[in-house]
Amino acid sequence: MKENNRIIDRNELILITGSNGFIGTRVVDALLRSGFSNLRCLVRPSGNLADLQAVLDAAPGARVEIMPGNLLSREDCANAVKGVAVILHLAAGIEKTFPGSFMNSVVATRNLLDAVVDGGSLRRFVNVSSFAVYSNWNLRSGALLDEECETESRPVERAEPYAFAKLKQDQLVIEYSQKFGIPYVILRPGAVYGPRARQLTGRVGIDTFGIFLHLGGSNQIPLTYVDNCAQAIVLAGITSGVDGEVFNVVDDNLPSSRKFLRMYKKHGKSFRSIYVPYWLFYCLSWIWENYSKRSKGQLPPVFNRRRCAIYWKGNKYSNNKLKERVGWRPAVPFAEASKRYFEFVRRAG
Amino acid sequence: MLRVAIVGCGKIADQHAEQIAYIPGCTIVGVCDREELMAKQLQERVNAPMYCSSVEDLLEKAKPDVVHITTPPQGHYLLGKFFLEAGCHVYIEKPFTVTLAEAEELIWLAEHKNLKLTAGHNASFSHAANRMRALVAEGYLGGPPVHLESYYCYELGDAGYAKPLLADRGHWVRSLPGGLLQNNISHGISKIAEFLNNDDRLEVVARGFTSSFLKSLGETEIVDELRVIVNDGNTTAYFTFSSQMRPSLHQLRLYGPKNGLIVDEEKQTVIKLRGARYKSYLEQFVPPWSFAKQYIANSLGNMRKFLRSDFQAGYGMRTLMRRFYRSIADGEPVPIPYKEILRTANIMEQIFSQLNSAQNSMAEGQTKAQLAHQE
Repeated sequence: MKENNRIIDRNELILITGSNGFIGTRVVDALLRSGFSNLRCLVRPSGNLADLQAVLDAAPGARVEIMPGNLLSREDCANAVKGVAVILHLAAGIEKTFPGSFMNSVVATRNLLDAVVDGGSLRRFVNVSSFAVYSNWNLRSGALLDEECETESRPVERAEPYAFAKLKQDQLVIEYSQKFGIPYVILRPGAVYGPRARQLTGRVGIDTFGIFLHLGGSNQIPLTYVDNCAQAIVLAGITSGVDGEVFNVVDDNLPSSRKFLRMYKKHGKSFRSIYVPYWLFYCLSWIWENYSKRSKGQLPPVFNRRRCAIYWKGNKYSNNKLKERVGWRPAVPFAEASKRYFEFVRRAG
Repeated sequence: MLRVAIVGCGKIADQHAEQIAYIPGCTIVGVCDREELMAKQLQERVNAPMYCSSVEDLLEKAKPDVVHITTPPQGHYLLGKFFLEAGCHVYIEKPFTVTLAEAEELIWLAEHKNLKLTAGHNASFSHAANRMRALVAEGYLGGPPVHLESYYCYELGDAGYAKPLLADRGHWVRSLPGGLLQNNISHGISKIAEFLNNDDRLEVVARGFTSSFLKSLGETEIVDELRVIVNDGNTTAYFTFSSQMRPSLHQLRLYGPKNGLIVDEEKQTVIKLRGARYKSYLEQFVPPWSFAKQYIANSLGNMRKFLRSDFQAGYGMRTLMRRFYRSIADGEPVPIPYKEILRTANIMEQIFSQLNSAQNSMAEGQTKAQLAHQE
């Protein structure tokens, strides 16, 4: 990337929240490899720092501050944003409950944004969101789901705390931008995979009932390899002229669910699975949803039509906007990415 | 229509809101949390008419008849007092209060103002607990219990709760006098408290320690293993709280002068223990059949309830709420007698006092040993 396409110099301070997480560690690595050497890594006080430390050890010349802190503490947020030019906000609340997810995503983000408002000179707030915020309720099967598509208008019905929290987090970032002029970019990665992610993405199927139900069939899976995703986050943080934009992150040459599952079983870990066609699982979801209501919550409404649609109806995905506007290219092709991933799965057992 | 408000919009508030929605004759009129965003998210999800971050606003705008307090325990007393003084009936999540004195004052205030008050001991209102109570009332035990055993275990592997607690040295649970225990043992202790009656002679002996599992994670403050003996002169009880033993039991065992009962909250089973023995080898042949029959009957009964859509995970809470609302609307007795709430608070306070004294003595001993070593 040309220097004049950047909004910051390589020696300016970048804050990375969730920096010791699955994606965060790779973002730090991508920053260091791109020559950004002034980093502040916010980590949970009890977080496992082994992987992050390994990345830092490989870049001994960099000025990297590891700052233990909790985004639910306003004081920690104020300390974290001091002197920062760009924030890459990856920390997320992945919890089973709505309040837990909301608190660790939305309240945490609000604290960070308030600290930015008080602190002053931020040039970009990159909000790492998720594909989970979209709705394809009004899209036909096979249609393109891109940045122009609507987000979920009935997140409570989806009964998915993570999607609800991420949706509200996106809305909050936009609200703060409108009120206080905070420049932002929203990045929505698809299913991020790579070493350290043991579980097969839910877009392929679920093992809730003791046997793996393959639900993805011939659907394209919106995969993005963790290093590719990390590079997208870095570029979204430093590229000029993209304030207020939303970018989806998916790799090239996306495999079908069936192909990915076959590869996973062959090269990663073998297990039994049963294919359940979309129409059948949609009907089952409809029955479950109704039974949940009729039985006054005897079964929680975790399977419902809206959720079934967004994960397994099947859409096409595009990374054109990301490529055109920030010049991103997935550096690790699917063949190599999947090889690394399956090797990790095989070793992890 | 009973107007219900919720104060404190964290995880447990979701369960309250869900159960309230299924109880006829009541409606949520407002939700409140010091963190306005939390109040807003709950309001949006339960479709409440208003949300706010101040209890004064809640009172003024929502005008609730009943307030559910679902904040961390440190807020229970002041909020309970505030709403009782404002003329509201109050449902307080467990643990009822931080200290016994606070519990006494709230109950005095409720009685003085002719208002109703209850504690969130919902595990005492499950199907199994209700069946057990009916058997005890029929006289199955042959008299008041001679001995009780209450197991209330908690798997710290549950990341949703344990992770933030272990990660955060400033977590609100740590600042409770009884720490993790105070937030978790109410259900198990209240089951014992229900069957004691001689408060003047109540004796409590408690021993607690940090499990080797927690120690291996570098945790030294949190006591996650507790063994207690309770004696009121008529009935004795053992209470066990463990984060490590498996299976992770939620059980009450009652032994009367004639027969016994085992109530399993996890499996929702009630098993009768016949006191009389069979002759000779029949004691080894007949009771196992009887147990098998009972377990099958329990299983079929649970399935029947499930098919009737009467087996929700929140059944105990819903039943407690329904009975509490009936006590308000129809003047029925409160679902949990106040003396049981006080007895639970009393036993818990004695436990924490003993654990804290033991910890202080140990710390003092270590300091003395260090000083002696230096000299």
